[in-house]
Amino acid sequence: MTINRRDFLKVAGLAVGCALAVPDQVNASPSSKDLNEQFAMLYDATICVGCNACTMACRQWNGTEPETDARQLYDAPTELSADTFTLIQLYQGGNGESFVKRQCMHCVEPACVSGCPVHALEKTADGPVIYDPDRCIGCRYCQYVCPFHVPRFEWDVARFPVIAKCHFCYESRIQKGIGGPACADRCPTGALIWGKRGDLLAEARKRISENPGRYVDHIYGEDDAGGTSVLYLSAVPFENLGLEDLGTRSIPEISEGTAELVLPGILIGGPILLGMIRLTAKRGGWEETWPL
Amino acid sequence: MAIVTKSRSQIPVSFWPLLVLTLIGVGLAIYRLVVGLGPTTNLNDHYPWGLWITIDLFLIPVAGAAFTISLISYFLGRADYHSIIRPAVLAGFIGYSIVGILLFMDIGRWHQFYNIFVPPWINLHSFLEEISLCVTLYTGILILEIAPVFLEKWGYKTPIRWIERGIFVIAGAGIVLSMLHQSSLGSLFLLMPHKLHPLWWTPALPLLFYLQAVYTGLGATAVVIRIIWRALKLPINRELFRRIGQAMSINLMLYAAIKVGDWMGAGEVPLLLKPDIFGMIAWLQFLIGIVLPLGILLSKLVGHTAGPFWAGVFALIGTFIDRLVISWVGLAEPSPVSYFPSWIEIMITVGMIAGGFLLYGAVVRYFKIFPEPEHAH
Repeated sequence: MTINRRDFLKVAGLAVGCALAVPDQVNASPSSKDLNEQFAMLYDATICVGCNACTMACRQWNGTEPETDARQLYDAPTELSADTFTLIQLYQGGNGESFVKRQCMHCVEPACVSGCPVHALEKTADGPVIYDPDRCIGCRYCQYVCPFHVPRFEWDVARFPVIAKCHFCYESRIQKGIGGPACADRCPTGALIWGKRGDLLAEARKRISENPGRYVDHIYGEDDAGGTSVLYLSAVPFENLGLEDLGTRSIPEISEGTAELVLPGILIGGPILLGMIRLTAKRGGWEETWPL
Repeated sequence: MAIVTKSRSQIPVSFWPLLVLTLIGVGLAIYRLVVGLGPTTNLNDHYPWGLWITIDLFLIPVAGAAFTISLISYFLGRADYHSIIRPAVLAGFIGYSIVGILLFMDIGRWHQFYNIFVPPWINLHSFLEEISLCVTLYTGILILEIAPVFLEKWGYKTPIRWIERGIFVIAGAGIVLSMLHQSSLGSLFLLMPHKLHPLWWTPALPLLFYLQAVYTGLGATAVVIRIIWRALKLPINRELFRRIGQAMSINLMLYAAIKVGDWMGAGEVPLLLKPDIFGMIAWLQFLIGIVLPLGILLSKLVGHTAGPFWAGVFALIGTFIDRLVISWVGLAEPSPVSYFPSWIEIMITVGMIAGGFLLYGAVVRYFKIFPEPEHAH
């Protein structure tokens, strides 16, 4: 079997064809809307009394089942789960006591959206990260890549489990004009408020400057992990609340940069390299130098 | 390897246990698809991936032997590699089939797995999507590459001529697809800089996974060829083994340089000296998987078939440790929950691998995969 120039051109043609077939698309980058105009929530841990009204509001709007204690008297979830999209946890330790609310952080550049093979998770232009079960194949990569350990899976559902997480009540309330996220609208103390991200950041800064000594001087989520749409104020260090220091770099940056480099690189470079190797081998060029 | 035998009159002893294991695996696989992941696996929200993904991550570089051998054979024009193309490509095809089945077991919404092929939904920034597409396409390429084995037996000459005429395009596409998904397996973990242990997480993961796939595939080839050639009493080509060994050592050295460079560059040496389980595993993996095979291959042993054989064995162990850590142990997050595969997960895995051996044995028995033995009985 031999290869001639024509075969080489065929290979090269295939490469160029493949390269052209790669459409230019960007998805996990910030949406078209200005970041300050996107929806966000601000949770002030120093105001929260841990009443769990947010958890109950979330249950009512999402139809999730209570997770009761051993005597089946209280709805007492301890962790996010396929049935609990948000809950209040309590930290007790050397730095004092504090409640902390858990839910999807609706990252500005979400790792889950970047990793999802089928765009089942999407970053809307308004900010919320929403999920479409009709696209999801149930691979659970989103669970692995989320730096906040948020997405949950319906392990006990046979046909067919879905990924469960907070969706900011985007389609069920915001788009219908009913109001904001059910949890924020229900909060009796004002510990959780919602609105435009820019306004909430200004409000958070105001609270920090007007109450010296009350807060840790940092708004968690302003640029942590590249920024999130759920912002936190706290009196105790954020690590104590399970909000780790993730740096300010967006999580998908390295991965997406690599994808944009490697995909066209190998699709175009690979065939050209193979063609060159083959032509050199045909001329006997490897015999002396190549140890294989 | 009792299944590899030339006498067709009797069924080898290993046939029955393999068949039983395969049938149990198939039965449990159907059961898993019917009742879901919860009742059949120990996977949970803290360990959403488990044994199946680890096995996939290990099988893909091992089955990568097919692409490395066809690269050397077709493109570097090494005639002596031709004798091992068929065994390697068949093993590659069976390996990728097992990977495909285990992936199908793993996805929760398997009733719409085809969504990965729906063009408007394809996310090209997702390495998981890219791997899914590449593995599917590459399995198709492997079918084309192995098809002549069956076509020649059944007397279809024309399609064989088409495949032979297009072999450079077919094999070339297979090599490009392999370069893509072998490296992308590593890129999968680029999205987990805060989860994967720093001794393993590096932006160079795609390059490391690619080099690992090349030397692991070559190592697996050396191991398998020596076992089968001996069983079949075929004459072993020592020169071929020496070349495989040299190709391995080049890739091992590149891998070692990048790995050490990354550890030093990222200032992770103190983590290596820390007396915890991760520091220990990193050392173990580096010594068994890199230093030991390199030592063997750079010594005079490379001229004996035992040299590349043992280098291959150690490289395989090293790669297994690496993939195990990256897909499971090294991803541990602080949580009260742990993970160990359930017996159903284990038996499905064992069953599919047993099925692979069964299929390999059957094809070897009835089709021409190995060169004709010159002095066989």
